[in-house]
Amino acid sequence: MIEALFNQPNYLSAKKTLDAVALRSEAIANNLNNLETPGYKRVDLAPDFEKELARATTSNDSEQIASLKPTLAVDATSVPSSKDGNSVHLEDELMKMNQNAMTHALETQLVSGTLAKMRLAITGHA
Amino acid sequence: MIQILSGIQNTSASLDAERTRLDVISQNIANAHTTHDVDGKPYQRRVVVFENELNNAMNGDTAGLSTMHVAKIARDSRPPTKVYDPGNPEADAKGMVSMPNINIHEEMADLISASRTFEANLAVVKNARSMAMQTLAIGRH
Repeated sequence: MIEALFNQPNYLSAKKTLDAVALRSEAIANNLNNLETPGYKRVDLAPDFEKELARATTSNDSEQIASLKPTLAVDATSVPSSKDGNSVHLEDELMKMNQNAMTHALETQLVSGTLAKMRLAITGHA
Repeated sequence: MIQILSGIQNTSASLDAERTRLDVISQNIANAHTTHDVDGKPYQRRVVVFENELNNAMNGDTAGLSTMHVAKIARDSRPPTKVYDPGNPEADAKGMVSMPNINIHEEMADLISASRTFEANLAVVKNARSMAMQTLAIGRH
């Protein structure tokens, strides 16, 4: 089956991580948007997604990985830094944004690498 | 429509709002000594009021996110500062002139905060762009 080519757990979890990274970049963009909105609480990826993904990846079960779906949630651990109740910290947010970009670079290379290997296996040259 | 640059639809709204804020601050600084505004009274400090709007719930994943934009430009209701300057044509019988309720230090602090927010949002755009370029390069070698 041709689907089996794209159902390796590693490839799937790289794809899921890319989904999560894209969603996270939206969350960070939104946080920076509301840098000065009184009472705004920062949003981020729901904390259980990473755990679920790690568990699904170690189980090596492609279906379990494919069924995961990253979601956004209000970050319950963040503390407002000023009296207006806004819990966005500019430096933290920029740091997370860069971290997110690095993860994105890593995952896109992983996906590209997998595809290149597959092409090598099929054609005999990369 | 596909979102190629994820997360930037709100960023442009925010950039626009901060730009308006910068414009208003520069107007305030420019009018720090205007004793005769269009209505004949001393210039009153203008403040930008932002408002926030929840994104359309139809957007699925990003339903909880919100967009900010300028709601209105209001006037600061603090009373004008009185300065003794009997030679000024705007002076009253006691020689006091009503100067605009503008504190230049406050405006400068506001100016810095607005330009930092602007920069942070620009960083988001740059980042989204480089991420999109990498995504488009998947499978290329």
